[in-house]
Amino acid sequence: MLQDLLQNTLDGVALGASYALLAVGFTLIFGVLRRVNLSYGPAIMFGAYCATWTYLNFQAGLLVLGIVTVAGAVLAGVYVERLCFAPHRQGSAIAAMVASFALWMQLEEAATLALPKHLYAFPALYEGDPLALGPLSLRIESLAMLGAAGAISALLWTILYRTRFGLAVRAIIDSPTAASLAGINLPRVSLLVFALASAIGGVAGYLIVASHGQVTPMLGMWATLKGLLAMMLGGLGSLPGAVVGGLALGLIEAHSQWFLGPQARDLVAYLLLFALLAARPAWMTRWTSTRSAS
Amino acid sequence: MAALLAIKDLVTAYGKIEALKGVTLEVQDESITCLLGPNGAGKTTLMFTTAGILRPRRGSIHFAGKDITARPPHSIVASGIALVPENRLVFPHMSVLENLRAGAYQRSGNAGINADIERLMQRFPRLRERAAQDAGTLSGGEQQMLAVARALMSRPRLLLMDEPSLGLAPLVLEEIFRIIAELRRDGTTIFLVEQNAHMALKVAQHFYLMEQGRVTFSGNPGSLAEDEVISRAYLGTVKQ
Amino acid sequence: MDEYTIGVLTNVGLFTFLALSAYLLLIAGEMSFGQQAFFGVGAYSGGILTAMYGLQLPLAALGAMVLGALAATLVGLPTLRLRGLYFAMATLAAAEMARILFELFHFQIEVEGETTGPDGTQGFRGIRWVFEHGVEPLEYMALVYALLLVVLAAFLAVERSRLGATLRSLGEDPELAASLGVNVGRLKLGVAAVAGALAALGGVLFAHHNTYIEPRNFDIMLGVHSLAYALIGGLGTALGPLLGVALDIGVLEGSRIFGGARMIVFGGLVAVLLVFRPRGLLDERVVHWFGVRAFKRS
Repeated sequence: MLQDLLQNTLDGVALGASYALLAVGFTLIFGVLRRVNLSYGPAIMFGAYCATWTYLNFQAGLLVLGIVTVAGAVLAGVYVERLCFAPHRQGSAIAAMVASFALWMQLEEAATLALPKHLYAFPALYEGDPLALGPLSLRIESLAMLGAAGAISALLWTILYRTRFGLAVRAIIDSPTAASLAGINLPRVSLLVFALASAIGGVAGYLIVASHGQVTPMLGMWATLKGLLAMMLGGLGSLPGAVVGGLALGLIEAHSQWFLGPQARDLVAYLLLFALLAARPAWMTRWTSTRSAS
Repeated sequence: MAALLAIKDLVTAYGKIEALKGVTLEVQDESITCLLGPNGAGKTTLMFTTAGILRPRRGSIHFAGKDITARPPHSIVASGIALVPENRLVFPHMSVLENLRAGAYQRSGNAGINADIERLMQRFPRLRERAAQDAGTLSGGEQQMLAVARALMSRPRLLLMDEPSLGLAPLVLEEIFRIIAELRRDGTTIFLVEQNAHMALKVAQHFYLMEQGRVTFSGNPGSLAEDEVISRAYLGTVKQ
Repeated sequence: MDEYTIGVLTNVGLFTFLALSAYLLLIAGEMSFGQQAFFGVGAYSGGILTAMYGLQLPLAALGAMVLGALAATLVGLPTLRLRGLYFAMATLAAAEMARILFELFHFQIEVEGETTGPDGTQGFRGIRWVFEHGVEPLEYMALVYALLLVVLAAFLAVERSRLGATLRSLGEDPELAASLGVNVGRLKLGVAAVAGALAALGGVLFAHHNTYIEPRNFDIMLGVHSLAYALIGGLGTALGPLLGVALDIGVLEGSRIFGGARMIVFGGLVAVLLVFRPRGLLDERVVHWFGVRAFKRS
């Protein structure tokens, strides 16, 4: 029993690492633009499909596929930003969101037009056996995911707290008007943040697809849902919260699936989110800030 | 002498409501110009339009001879104008030091920026004490100092100030206005919106009265009896 | 008119109820990702009532609407004080929970020798009331549009009334509305209940048109679609959602010329449209302009 608990926890943390990356991307966009991007997952899927196409036509290696995924995700992300978010910067949040939904449809259709099958094989990240940690086992892919999450978090922290660009991002998150008055170019920083968030999503997407060894067009909606869920669970708008929310979601899913079955897995997560929102504890809404470090 | 800031027939609207109905005024170089008027007259709208936060519907704004109408806020800062907004708008979850660095965002050259930070800390000793604290934890007066200091970090030629005295204790008020006078002596032009007409008229070389979206009076302190100025600044003129 | 066109038009009609459901909440200032849940509640309950308990369609539809309103009230009570994205996510969570519950819902009985009823992910077959009572496709379409007409007339009447103005003020400035004595909480709950009933009505009609429903029909895509219909058509009038649905389903189905790239074209058009018309085609300004012209003519 304890072993199951520990194994689930291990699996949950690994799963949570991928959710954390997705949530971080979402939160960056939400924090800076105050908008939800429904095309976030689809842009990642677009990147994954670009990589699949590259693999099918050129038998490219893992590294190249990773780069193509990230590049594709960034390309799609910038496209979405230009068409759906830049024009509505001072306008309606709903219009931006519905526009991002329209592009979701576009991206999904474009992907399925290029690669019409419902499922494609994707080269696996690692073909060998999982690592044995005493009685527990850890897949190498999970290790890679955890490593990536850790590395990206560290990189993001460095960008946010040690660069001029990061200062601008935190300033906009804190007060967009004050940031404008300080001379920060909001449109340009927003675009760059979008690209950064898409890149992070691309890394997550690549690792997810390579871990599963397959890619489907459902990846888009799945990634958006998980990212949104994790972001909300961790308290909207906070980057540390996004990481915590992602890990928490992974743990919740791993444990509920084990004890209650696969359908209960999603049910529990949604129920928890609903209950949290209904109760609206202060920590959920107060976490809309980044702490200073200097 | 050509004015440093020349605003002509400026109209800014929120949907169908025109907050500025055609504002014309000038701010002379190296002076302190004051804008008085009752609440809702449009003074903050004018400040935000000049700073580029709001886009005007008609009219023009010229700064040092260049047309800056409808330019985005970061471009306005690049031109040499900085706004200390009403309600200060500091970055509450960033430290005092980071707030100052944000103000210098468009500048390059760490040496110059650090030197300016040092100089401002000397001018505002309270900020030095609180350098590592989150700006949101500062008192009202301290936040006002911080907002002014942050604006000064961009080395503006024209400093816009929107109601710097709002919510401040009398002692802090005196300090703020002392600093305003000092800034002018050091070569910064100041365009100041104030509710506290009495204090404002003591430092200004020129003032405007704004009511219901228009400039209704322009003159030097002393051209109107002070109590008339004050009553019009708080209450507006009797409706025609 | 061939059967295909009748089918498309019927779909336009019944999905408009769902779009109106989202529209109503949008006007009152709340963005819901979850109206598809009440659509589903209507579909399942309506189907159960006719196919398993032999009720006539009108009565079953009424029952479905009541259940839809109830479900909406249940969801609305703890969540309507949330705003913006928080409310949207709460409705999304509720709707996904409903969909998963539909997947877990097995309830079958023998009806005239056949096993009938919802069977989890296998769906719910045999909702054949329409065929068993000899209702022609054209007649069914007429029924859908007759109901729609009644609902639209009610909407247009409310929009001109004090209630309509109060609802719009709720959406634009709830603090102001509250200060003018509007019981914001109670009004929003009422709006949510009506929206739930509307969506459920659409669901009943959908179930009986398709004769088969499954949980996948009521996923997030449908929910976001319903928001999109309302917004694209325009938030100025209840005719907006109808226009939005007609454009999406009608034009898209009808124009096979784009082949497999329909969504690429349509999605792009929608995004571009929203740049210039962020409140949709029939937004408040257009509606006002129409109203002014009509007034001038008389």
